[in-house]
Amino acid sequence: MQLTMKPEHLEKGRHASLQKLPRLIGILMLIFFFLLPIIRLIMMSFTSGESLSVSAYTEVLQDAVTWKTLWNTIGIVAGSTALSMVLGVTMAAIMAYTNVRGKSVMQLLIFLPFIIPSYITTLAWVQFLSASGPLGGLPDWMRPELYSVGGIIFVLGISHYPLVYLMTVQVLRRIPRDAELAAMVSGASRFACWRRIILPMALPGILSGGLLAFLSNLDNFGVPAFLGIPANIRVLSTYIYEQVIGYGPSAFSRAAVLSVLLGLLAIAVTFIQVWLLRKSNVTETTVADHAPRIHLTPIRRKSLQMLLWIFLLGTSLVPFLAMGTVSLVQAYGVDLTWKNLSFGNYHYILFEDEKVIRSLRNSILLGGVTAAVCLLFGTFFAYYRARNQGKLPKIMEAIITMPYALPGTVLALCIILMWMQPLPGWYPGVYGTPAIILIAYITRFFVLQFRGSYTAFSQLDKRMEEAARTNGASSFVRWKQILLPLILPGVISGALLVFLTALTELTVSSMLWSSGSETVGVIIFSFEQAGYSTYSTAFSSLIVLAILLGALGYLFIQHKWKQKGRKV
Amino acid sequence: MIALQGIEKRYGDTTALHEVDLTIQDGEFLAILGPSGCGKTTLLRLLAGFMNPTVGTIQFGEKEVANPRKSSKPEKRNIGMVFQSFALWPHMNVEEHVRFALKNHRFSNKSTANEQESRVTEVLQLVGMEAFRKRYPAALSGGQQQRVALARAIAPEPDILLMDEPLSALDAELRISMRKEIKQIHRKLGATIIYVTHDQAEALAMADRVLVMQQGRIEQADKPEVIYQRPETTFVATFVGKANLVKGSWKGDIFTPADTNLCWKEAGVAEQLKQQHVFPVRPEQWELLSAEEEGLPGQITLSQFQGTERHYVIQVGDMEYQASLPISLPAWREGDHVALQVKGQHAASSTEPTMLEIT
Repeated sequence: MQLTMKPEHLEKGRHASLQKLPRLIGILMLIFFFLLPIIRLIMMSFTSGESLSVSAYTEVLQDAVTWKTLWNTIGIVAGSTALSMVLGVTMAAIMAYTNVRGKSVMQLLIFLPFIIPSYITTLAWVQFLSASGPLGGLPDWMRPELYSVGGIIFVLGISHYPLVYLMTVQVLRRIPRDAELAAMVSGASRFACWRRIILPMALPGILSGGLLAFLSNLDNFGVPAFLGIPANIRVLSTYIYEQVIGYGPSAFSRAAVLSVLLGLLAIAVTFIQVWLLRKSNVTETTVADHAPRIHLTPIRRKSLQMLLWIFLLGTSLVPFLAMGTVSLVQAYGVDLTWKNLSFGNYHYILFEDEKVIRSLRNSILLGGVTAAVCLLFGTFFAYYRARNQGKLPKIMEAIITMPYALPGTVLALCIILMWMQPLPGWYPGVYGTPAIILIAYITRFFVLQFRGSYTAFSQLDKRMEEAARTNGASSFVRWKQILLPLILPGVISGALLVFLTALTELTVSSMLWSSGSETVGVIIFSFEQAGYSTYSTAFSSLIVLAILLGALGYLFIQHKWKQKGRKV
Repeated sequence: MIALQGIEKRYGDTTALHEVDLTIQDGEFLAILGPSGCGKTTLLRLLAGFMNPTVGTIQFGEKEVANPRKSSKPEKRNIGMVFQSFALWPHMNVEEHVRFALKNHRFSNKSTANEQESRVTEVLQLVGMEAFRKRYPAALSGGQQQRVALARAIAPEPDILLMDEPLSALDAELRISMRKEIKQIHRKLGATIIYVTHDQAEALAMADRVLVMQQGRIEQADKPEVIYQRPETTFVATFVGKANLVKGSWKGDIFTPADTNLCWKEAGVAEQLKQQHVFPVRPEQWELLSAEEEGLPGQITLSQFQGTERHYVIQVGDMEYQASLPISLPAWREGDHVALQVKGQHAASSTEPTMLEIT
């Protein structure tokens, strides 16, 4: 038999050294977009005037306000993280192990406070507990004061416990039932079994959930801005915001120093998390077990269910209903009756105040473009990362994660410092335009798309692509017919997450917006600061409705996709 | 003809392949056999074009397809490949898999839609999957998935078919029947098949030539019968034939086991084994005699009934030997003292080894 190679010269084959060129360009781009802004911030913190100095540090560290803010931050973050962990672990244990019914609806309610932006949750709670809210009949001393350290801790804890829940429930379900049974056969009581077997095995999950909650609480700007600023309670994120917004002679270098402090805190905690996660690999191989392990008697089960429903509806639905009610009254403080019912606030925000429509258009456009850019480049980077296991890809992944791990206020400042003059002599003039918000969003949310796409790629056997290659498929055909159809669900959900996060984003845009480039978050924030609670609640209610519709649509599409039954 | 010259492949500090020289004839069925990590998969992936050699060249016919600097891409080589994990595409049904190969393969001569359709049917009939052409992989059994993977690889009629442990994901019975089918397909196609496996029975049963590899080196490449009966290295003797290595001294063709006065005459033992002062005895070559007879003195430590044969572990000095004897012979019990002899050596009359029929 004759071997029939087509007359094609080897020169057309890939050349080993040429392969490295796109990679080098990629590395430089990543460093420029993701690492350089952070370096610029650190440089700024060591600059006073034109020279290198630590004077900004000494000035900031000698200021009593700094220390008060730092202690506030630590107290609030520690308190809210503790609350998140107690709620998250309790819920996870109940949902993973007991035989309560209606778990799937309960799960959705648990996630609700998480997918709704925290500043809207804050608004909802404010209305729920206000004198004109459903608890208005109670005397003042019985209605908790939200504009306080306790109030901030409460709203943060409620907003971020789903993170702890999510990490813990997965680990709990993966603990083999046999481990528990073996302990009981060895004579351990149920309590001893929990303390000695289940908790230690679940600890990596609980701790990494707790650390995620910690980072989110540290990063959060909306809650302390809405509740803290009126009560004169500062945390690092709002303090940096005030510095940047207030300008002043040394505002940027002071803000840079504060940002470095906040960033160091966040990075230190991230490293602890990575270190802890590394040790938790053991349990990941076993499959999740969804069957209940603790069978409660019908009476106990029903009372537990009752408690759960009260808690879940009380934390995720009722406050939003209270917010919706306020948005339907003619004037703030008036009770909602059939006579007072009015859509005037909605009419105002949708048809009379052009800023609202403009902000909606801005946010949708920013979210859309961010999602599209991240979709393209994030997916390519995910492909590269999934196919290369060396040290370099890991470092590059760490670099793109940093802008997301950093608190939003810190990143916003990084972006300002970087893009006023990205390279010596180059002034792109994006500061004060919507472009800088777009750049910030892409920098910050890139990793979200990367994660979604990366998960999709790592579930894909790389031999599937190799099989296509041995069948002669070019890289275009491989992407179009093999890779894209298979990774699409993961990629789309990543893009949706990026879009939704960018749509309702407040922290970064509150520092970067300018007249004409307001975002949804900025408008709601400014309504609330100006005291227009009826408008802010009306706008927030619209956003919540849109998010719920979006989430339902997403679940529906996912359901349809699974029904196709094509996935192995 | 495929020619590999001085191929070396290094990953960082570890060397996966050392100086591999190999020629594969057109239409040959070559099995590459070795334990995991021996470099057999690396060799296959070099042939497919998924990587470049660190040193050396690969030629397909007159054409150089790879050297350390350049290599033609897998999609431009006239190959087909079957993967251990099958690598089917979950979003395509059976006939779409085959059609994909026909549409994209650069060397397929089925260019019109009609030709492609009739080739799809032809190939699916060949692998017995005609009835399942609209099914998706999730709805197929392991054996059926294997057939689809095979159909996809052979549809464009490539000159070279690469198979990476294609049967190892199947259960034992299915493996045996698929062996026959692959062998038949090879006869029909006439393509060169390079078949990687760690299962010596599979390699011996199917291949025209077996290449045994260990630690990135070729130990021996020969016909299955030769590999089995005339191993050239201790590794081949123990890995392929499961041979016991009896220590002793060689004088010409005469072997004397250590601490005995026995004389075993054997002309077929390779020089390398002689230099290592060993005599390879496969389990079925042993003969067990009562203790007072002439032979290696030993004690049975384990006796297992296994249907067609009886398996013994025998302690001889500080060595443990494995023996498999037909159940027609009287059984020995654990604890019995025996004398070991190699079949045909006891009478010292014939040195002709019994040829083993391999199915």
